[in-house]
Amino acid sequence: MCLARPTARRLRWGLVALGFGLAAQAEEAAPSPEPAVRLIVGGELTGTLGPEDYGFFNDVDYQRNLLRLFRASLLAELRAGTRFALLGELRSDNLDTPQAYALYLRVRPLPAHALDVQLGRIPPVFGAFGRRRYGQDNPLIGSPLGYQYLTTVRPDAVPANADEMLAQRGEGWLTQYSVGSSAYDAGLPVVESMRWDTGIEVRVGEEPLEWSVAVTQGTLGNPRFSDDNGGKQVSTRLAWYPTPGLQLGGSFALGEYLSDDVERLLAQPGPFRQQAFGLDVEYSWGRFLVRSETIVGHWEMPAIDAPRIDGPLDVVTVFVEGRYRAAPGLDLAARVDRLAFGNITGSNGSETWDAPVTRVEAAVGYALHRHVQVKAAYQYNWRDGGSVHSQGMLAGQLRVWF
Amino acid sequence: MAPLLLTLLVVGAQANPGEAPRLGTIRGVVDVRLDLPATAQRPSVSEIGAAAPHDAPDRRRSVVYFETAPQGAFEDHERPRASLEQKNESFVPYVLPVITGTIVDFPNRDRTFHNVFSLSKAQRFDLGRYAAGRFKSVRFDHAGVVRVFCDIHSHMNAFILVFAHRFFAATDESGAYRIDNVPPGTYNLAVWTDGRVRVERSVRVGEEGGTVTQDFVVE
Repeated sequence: MCLARPTARRLRWGLVALGFGLAAQAEEAAPSPEPAVRLIVGGELTGTLGPEDYGFFNDVDYQRNLLRLFRASLLAELRAGTRFALLGELRSDNLDTPQAYALYLRVRPLPAHALDVQLGRIPPVFGAFGRRRYGQDNPLIGSPLGYQYLTTVRPDAVPANADEMLAQRGEGWLTQYSVGSSAYDAGLPVVESMRWDTGIEVRVGEEPLEWSVAVTQGTLGNPRFSDDNGGKQVSTRLAWYPTPGLQLGGSFALGEYLSDDVERLLAQPGPFRQQAFGLDVEYSWGRFLVRSETIVGHWEMPAIDAPRIDGPLDVVTVFVEGRYRAAPGLDLAARVDRLAFGNITGSNGSETWDAPVTRVEAAVGYALHRHVQVKAAYQYNWRDGGSVHSQGMLAGQLRVWF
Repeated sequence: MAPLLLTLLVVGAQANPGEAPRLGTIRGVVDVRLDLPATAQRPSVSEIGAAAPHDAPDRRRSVVYFETAPQGAFEDHERPRASLEQKNESFVPYVLPVITGTIVDFPNRDRTFHNVFSLSKAQRFDLGRYAAGRFKSVRFDHAGVVRVFCDIHSHMNAFILVFAHRFFAATDESGAYRIDNVPPGTYNLAVWTDGRVRVERSVRVGEEGGTVTQDFVVE
């Protein structure tokens, strides 16, 4: 999905330059031994190699697939005292031009109290997986379907009727509709984890109860740097830590996803929104770690021509994953994942508006060194539609971090 | 890693038959003048809000040890226990010298889980996640340097130095150290600070035993 417009790109690089300019000054200003201004840098290189994904099950946009990805990330945090910090991440996928994946200001107005405000290109509030690092926090190689799989919903084009939508089932990696942009392009995941939204977020509280809320430019499935529809998304999460090792989270998000360019073409007034509820659980004890997330949501879709798309496009996704530390540095992991869709009625009857997908994945990870890890994973996908209905893939990953 | 624990057996000076050698003491102060700021967590870019504050490890703590140990140093001895606590997201102490065969307890004094592990050649272990008030133990049977981390909190780290002999001492808060029961002879002393050997000196304990003072400056 191509989002960068020249103005947004200039703004983005301007912010990056400002951040690193401040960083350079911080290095000179830092006293010893505990500087009031301190720059902390980290980095990560992750290379993943897998076979050709003929079913596009692991595509995250038209040109990137999670099983065939080289990612280089540079993270930086510039702390000024206890109240302010500027954080950023520069990321390059497949040796493309580095982009500012994250760049935001963190403010703790009352250092003695658990209240944080973050402004800029910010980590997502919704759910749990979206804040995990690609190599580090994922015990497998693939991402959960709800955070990666491309559905047939587009923010810049809509189908004229249900038949047009149903004709795209299973083809979310490259869709085309007759209303709006005529270009072929990738659809949206339920929750986009490959880029972050821009806005402001607040976190209040700390264990055992923590609440965060954000107002951003884009939506869960389509985070944006600049607003394209005059509407904002509100997202929130309440996290409860009843006992060490157990974490429960409940999330909600609501925001306009269709661009103004499309809405101008519609007789039916908007807004057209994406709404989602999420529940996430993490439990760990001894050598075991178990996580699960459920997302229930929908996209509101205009009803244009017959056969009309009556009602929103419903989606439900659930995954359960587990990790076992078999030996020092040796992890065994597995995930079961399901992405299901609601029905719409076309000329040939009722059918799910996109093809449901089921995925299982198992992986072995080994730490050659504290900063070097290798993984091997086998993934199998089933899909009730599209050009490829099932595919198994074996992939390997090497990760180096500091 | 430097020949930290490649200790050589040195034959001690011949004492009069039937007369026990007079043992001496080596003591002093290690003045660490290095700039050693607290280890920072990795940038918390993915977090919504700052991490909770945590204690900084005392990286100025040093270990003074014999590079060459006197005869008898390797004889069978008691296997003591030692402790490396997890407290306020920090390992206490930052450096723990022990003799081979020591059992080290890892008590969790925090409310949160920790997952103590090491991938060092001298001793690989992973204790899994356990809660406050519990502890797990590891016996260290091989000499070497063991780097200890927490799998959950990346800034937490510590060193366990495992010696094959008993002639070593960690400095206290003021930098002072003391090694007792040293047979007469000449020894090479090494000072290990924050990850490596920094200073080496030759020290002699006379036939009469007594106390020898040897200070070090690490810069």
